[in-house]
Amino acid sequence: MQQKRKGFALLVSATMLVGLLAGCGSSDNNKEGGASPSVEVSKEGFPIVNEKISLTMMAPDVGLQNWNNMAVLQQMEEKTNIKMVYNNAPKDSFETKKNLVFASGEYPDVFYAAGLTPAEQMNYGEQGILVPLEDLIEKHAPNFKKVLDENPGVRKSITAPDGHIYSLPVVEFNQPWYRNPMWYNGDFLKKLGYDKLPATTEELYTFLKRVKDEDANGNGKADEIPLSSVNLRDIRTWLLGAYGIYEEEIYVDDKDVVHYTPIENGYKEYLTFLNRLWKEKLLDQETFSQTAEQKKAKAQNNQVALFSDWHAYMTLGGEQSMDDPMFAPVKSDMVDAPVIAKNRGVTTGAFSISSSNAYPEASMRWVDYLYGYEGALLFNKGPEGTLWKYTDKASLTKEYLPVPGGGDREDYRATLTPNYGIPAPTISIPETSKGLLTEFDSWVENESKTKLLDKGARIPYPTLFLTAEEQAEVTTLTSDLTTYVRQMEAKFITGAEPMANWDSYIKTVNKMGGQRMAEIYQAAYDRWKES
Amino acid sequence: MVTTFKESKRDKLFLALNYLYLTVALVLVLYPLLYIVSASISSPQYVNTGEMWLFPKGFTLDGYKLVFDNPKIWNGYMNTVIYTVLGTLLNLVVTLPAAYALSRSDFVGRNLFMGMFLVTMFFNGGLIPSYLLIKNLGLINTMGALILPVAASVWNIIVARTFFHSTIPKELQEAAHIDGSTNMNLFIRIVLPLSMPIIAVMALFYGVSHWNSYFPALIYLNDESKYPLQMVLRQILVLQEMSAETTGAAISGDIAEAMNNKAEIASLVKYAVIIVSTLPIVILYPFLQRYFVQGVMIGSVKG
Amino acid sequence: MKGTGQQAVQPTLRPSGGIGKKIRQNWELYLFIAPAFLYFAIFHYGPMYGIQIAFKNFIPSKGIFGSDWVGFQHFERFFNSHYFWDLLWNTLSISFLELAIGFPLPIILALAFNEVRNGFFKKTVQTVTYAPHFISMVVMAGMIITFLSPSSGMIIRLIEMFGINAPQFLNEPAWFKTVYVLSGVWQSAGWGTIIYLAALSAVDPQLHEAAIVDGASRFKRMLHINLPTIVPTITILLILNTGNILGVGYEKILLLQNSLNMESSDVISTFVYRSGLVSAQYSFSTAVGLFNSIVNAIMLIMVNQIAKRTSETSLW
Repeated sequence: MQQKRKGFALLVSATMLVGLLAGCGSSDNNKEGGASPSVEVSKEGFPIVNEKISLTMMAPDVGLQNWNNMAVLQQMEEKTNIKMVYNNAPKDSFETKKNLVFASGEYPDVFYAAGLTPAEQMNYGEQGILVPLEDLIEKHAPNFKKVLDENPGVRKSITAPDGHIYSLPVVEFNQPWYRNPMWYNGDFLKKLGYDKLPATTEELYTFLKRVKDEDANGNGKADEIPLSSVNLRDIRTWLLGAYGIYEEEIYVDDKDVVHYTPIENGYKEYLTFLNRLWKEKLLDQETFSQTAEQKKAKAQNNQVALFSDWHAYMTLGGEQSMDDPMFAPVKSDMVDAPVIAKNRGVTTGAFSISSSNAYPEASMRWVDYLYGYEGALLFNKGPEGTLWKYTDKASLTKEYLPVPGGGDREDYRATLTPNYGIPAPTISIPETSKGLLTEFDSWVENESKTKLLDKGARIPYPTLFLTAEEQAEVTTLTSDLTTYVRQMEAKFITGAEPMANWDSYIKTVNKMGGQRMAEIYQAAYDRWKES
Repeated sequence: MVTTFKESKRDKLFLALNYLYLTVALVLVLYPLLYIVSASISSPQYVNTGEMWLFPKGFTLDGYKLVFDNPKIWNGYMNTVIYTVLGTLLNLVVTLPAAYALSRSDFVGRNLFMGMFLVTMFFNGGLIPSYLLIKNLGLINTMGALILPVAASVWNIIVARTFFHSTIPKELQEAAHIDGSTNMNLFIRIVLPLSMPIIAVMALFYGVSHWNSYFPALIYLNDESKYPLQMVLRQILVLQEMSAETTGAAISGDIAEAMNNKAEIASLVKYAVIIVSTLPIVILYPFLQRYFVQGVMIGSVKG
Repeated sequence: MKGTGQQAVQPTLRPSGGIGKKIRQNWELYLFIAPAFLYFAIFHYGPMYGIQIAFKNFIPSKGIFGSDWVGFQHFERFFNSHYFWDLLWNTLSISFLELAIGFPLPIILALAFNEVRNGFFKKTVQTVTYAPHFISMVVMAGMIITFLSPSSGMIIRLIEMFGINAPQFLNEPAWFKTVYVLSGVWQSAGWGTIIYLAALSAVDPQLHEAAIVDGASRFKRMLHINLPTIVPTITILLILNTGNILGVGYEKILLLQNSLNMESSDVISTFVYRSGLVSAQYSFSTAVGLFNSIVNAIMLIMVNQIAKRTSETSLW
């Protein structure tokens, strides 16, 4: 027995020792950058610094090209005299890596496209790991400052509750879609003799019913799937609009009142409508179990009349086609006109500077370049003369060059620039693609304009910061709420739960904090409105 | 099973049923495997609509082409082989002696050690402290980060211990002690040669886990030239599957189109990747099976 | 047979003498266990201090020691979750179903392999049944969804060939667990036989020869000679498996889960995964993990105690 105890004591002390050793490391801040001599940072023009400086950058990598070999970044280094040392992590493990980096105490100088969440920005900002950017923007970011001045909403959206700005956003005002649009199968419309798209939920129902009953694909079989979806996520927002609801979770109405969608009356009507479609097999019976590929395969089999995707041809197969019109939001009896959600256009967390960065001014000037026409163009389309060239430099008109070596244009682009599939700090400026748009692009733009923008599409709820307490409460509430709401949505629609149980559903949702969600977001909205 | 005796009627019936049972099992398992092989060389559209259900339809090698066009793939194969071989050797060196020691009932303190090992099956400090440990040991971006943190598994030690415990006759130890032979001698000269089946099993279990592992590489490696095969394949897959993100959330138009071009091939690549990554290790198995032959051990002890 | 028989008489064979003498005599055994000891001490006990974040509000940049204590807050949140009992029930029932079906099957399969003469057929069956182990979860789930698709699924068509109306396997909560467990068995049964095949190689052929002389049938010999040989392995694996009773993984479930089958498919690990998605909740998931570990450890200790009393094999 004595023996055992001694052995155990030894073991305990050994493990404690190891634990301590490992623990100490975490407070080991490397601050070598802090003492380096100050370098002259020019106020404007290039290079940014006269003596070459070096910064470490952390970014998600899609793995198509080593960042050191990207033409855009090489050109950037030459232009600015700032050498970036890339400390990238694969895109799919980036979140984990990011947290490990914060935990390890060795921060990169800048975070690029790191998708820092509002909670992260507040936490790390409050602790001084991320430096406040307001002053730097004021003094060293003419391009970005112009964006802020022209769009006061953006400044409100990127400012944390403590009044500081800890990250620069992705600014994307030209993309109006909140979710991928829905599209009609044009052949079906023609076959059924539609020259005007359904404008009310009843007309939509009739159309879907006719697709099913009148053999819209003409193969003699009743195999049509009038409305197809994967889990409803892709079509929900579009249909909710018919009942005066902007978004599937949180939205603010025209009187500045914030609503939590799943407890709204309009939401009940939406469920009733979809339940009717389900019962008559007008909504894909595999909606809740199929994969996106299976949905596509059905559409390519010419079975689907209405669906959601980026462009119609991506689901229907074949070439880009202007014969498949965009879904024009329909209205129910509840409202005079459908409400339509518009993309927020601002995503925070795209670029941050850490406290270990010895050259914050130079870093800010570096990133500011990306918010001007030239920089945005460079990072979006690659260097001039590779994939595109100017046809008329004065009016900024361009044309595409053939892809070197043939092959896919986008694949090639991804070897030139890092801005491929990651939330990179930049702004979309219409002039960047001047001359590069096809007839199809213009047609799509016009569809969006006439069917969505001109019909009063607006942002359902602004991009804003919750306070740490609010964030914590929302996090706790949503894990149960979302599960329950999604589950009940499916049950109400498929009829597994009769609509008669709506009242007890409401009771449960509110017990789980449904009403509370609306309150939290209301408070945050009021703050944002006043700021 | 070496039987030179005549089978009785009962035995014949039993054998027939046994073969029937195994044949049914074979068919049940084989079908989905064939499906994967066929799917990897069929046009994805037929796969997704269910038109391809056994034989390839719309033959194409695009999936394999995409995998093998990636210049990193061969390097990944090589890295994986190196990590697997060295990692497995380390595993055996740590596991077998420990398991043998634990199997000896005259080993004072074995329950203490056992307890210490078992605790780690349930409790662990989580990712962040482990990462800091690896970092402080200077193992980031080295092979050490892939094989040292998984140098042994409690589960495997226990399984090996059980084997030693129930198959190595105690007389052997007694005899060895009386002869004045050391434990080291006993272990290397007698125990190990008698334990080929469990050594083969351990090598297989550990080897397969090294072969399939990607998470440590994901976390600890920065240098792409050190990536194992699974990491390279993951990158290929992730790139193809970015299309899934286009369902729902609006992203930029260029990306949506690029992803759409790839969505087609994504499901194809999925199947091709399975074949590329597992074929070598599946082929290995029949060679290991010869170590499971019965009677090797006891016969030699008595002989 | 041989092995277990010896264990029974083992105490009398122990060399007499004090503990000190045994230690001196077997000093090399400490050398044998030293690498494993060091490994576990450094790589497992070393990071163990991380468990404390279950009781803290962990913020990566503050570090594990620097984050604030919050006591049992995360545990309370988990226990007070609307779904706590559902999650526990689903996790346990899936585990038990897996044990009930998935545990015996590899044993039966291994015994059946063992009756087949070595040759092409044996090699083929063994290799084929072993291969599914390597199919990634994504592809596995994809195949399940495809085969069970009401509009085009292979299995559905097969069932309907018999004139039966096939259920919507993935849409009906009642079917989820069956689908999950059976597909798991399909994937892992062959792999599970390996360990028993190794154990079976220890069967003494002389026992079979003697039994044949006595006129024992093949089936009887399998039952009375082969099976007992692998009983220690079976026992140990059973103990280890019950020690993982709350350990149902999230990967495959997440891929098969949908709003309709959620009520029977949501388990502890998927719940934690979802909660983590909202924001990296290290503390919360560590707390839930700790709860799992404690339940698992208690189960293992209990089952081991039972095994200790009723058989000669146990973990300690």
